[in-house]
Amino acid sequence: MTPNEINWPAALRAADSAEQSAAMQTLREVLQNGLRIALHGRGDVSEAHLEDFAQESLLRVLDRLDQFAGRSKFTTWAQAIALNTAFTELRRKRWHDVSLDALLANGDHLADPAMIADDVLGADEDRVRLVTVLRQAIEQDLTTKQRAAILGELREMPFDQIVELLGTSRSAAYKMLHDARRALKQRLQEAGITGADIQNAFNL
Amino acid sequence: MKTEDQRLSREQVGSIVTMLRLTTDRELNCSECLQHVGEYAETRLAGKPLDEILAGIEQHLELCPECREEFLALQQILKAGL
Ligand SMILES: [Zn+2]
Repeated sequence: MTPNEINWPAALRAADSAEQSAAMQTLREVLQNGLRIALHGRGDVSEAHLEDFAQESLLRVLDRLDQFAGRSKFTTWAQAIALNTAFTELRRKRWHDVSLDALLANGDHLADPAMIADDVLGADEDRVRLVTVLRQAIEQDLTTKQRAAILGELREMPFDQIVELLGTSRSAAYKMLHDARRALKQRLQEAGITGADIQNAFNL
Repeated sequence: MKTEDQRLSREQVGSIVTMLRLTTDRELNCSECLQHVGEYAETRLAGKPLDEILAGIEQHLELCPECREEFLALQQILKAGL
């Protein structure tokens, strides 16, 4: 049977343990092959890493089996989980020495003209005004943690590090950032700056 | 660290502005994205229209560089026929 012909949820739940472990073994291989393609050419990934990622991914897939709704192929759904597992781990390694304290301290300066120059988007009046309103909103409407989290995002800090910085859960951190973006957007709208203006600021 | 050394580039301020342009009141988060991104990738590959949830995934992928990185990798795997 090819991977597409297997009824994965049933096979992975099979009462017959030989059938179940055969399915697990095949799925682990499918995931590892996918990861090999996706991570090909990265200097920081060895075959041993691929094996570890595939094994960890398999456990996560088994753990979430009930969440598979059949709206895509099973292997596509599982492969997305495997990629999430691998990339999360690789990002964590790359960033593991970041200082959260330094980021928090810098977050507080995010609204300083020294951090965001008036003419950073261009010297004409509309763009300077956009930056001024944005800076005011960052200063007045956001908490220190929200400012630090936005700064972390701009520095391409992994989201898991931002979660750690905020000292909360992943979904609460996402909500905190979403609230921050909404607050800033509302402030721009109140200042009469529309989506079209924002877009124009961008055709630099 | 001096603040002057930390000054944001035009690209960074630009990316704040883009994030705000894309921000809507209701958004999916990363775990909801992970749950549906496989379906999104297959639908895109087949050239089929997106329903409301998948349109939400598309918006999340524009906003979230990590989910986007994983989606692009998934696309590569699907294109390889796995
Ligand atoms: Zn995301």
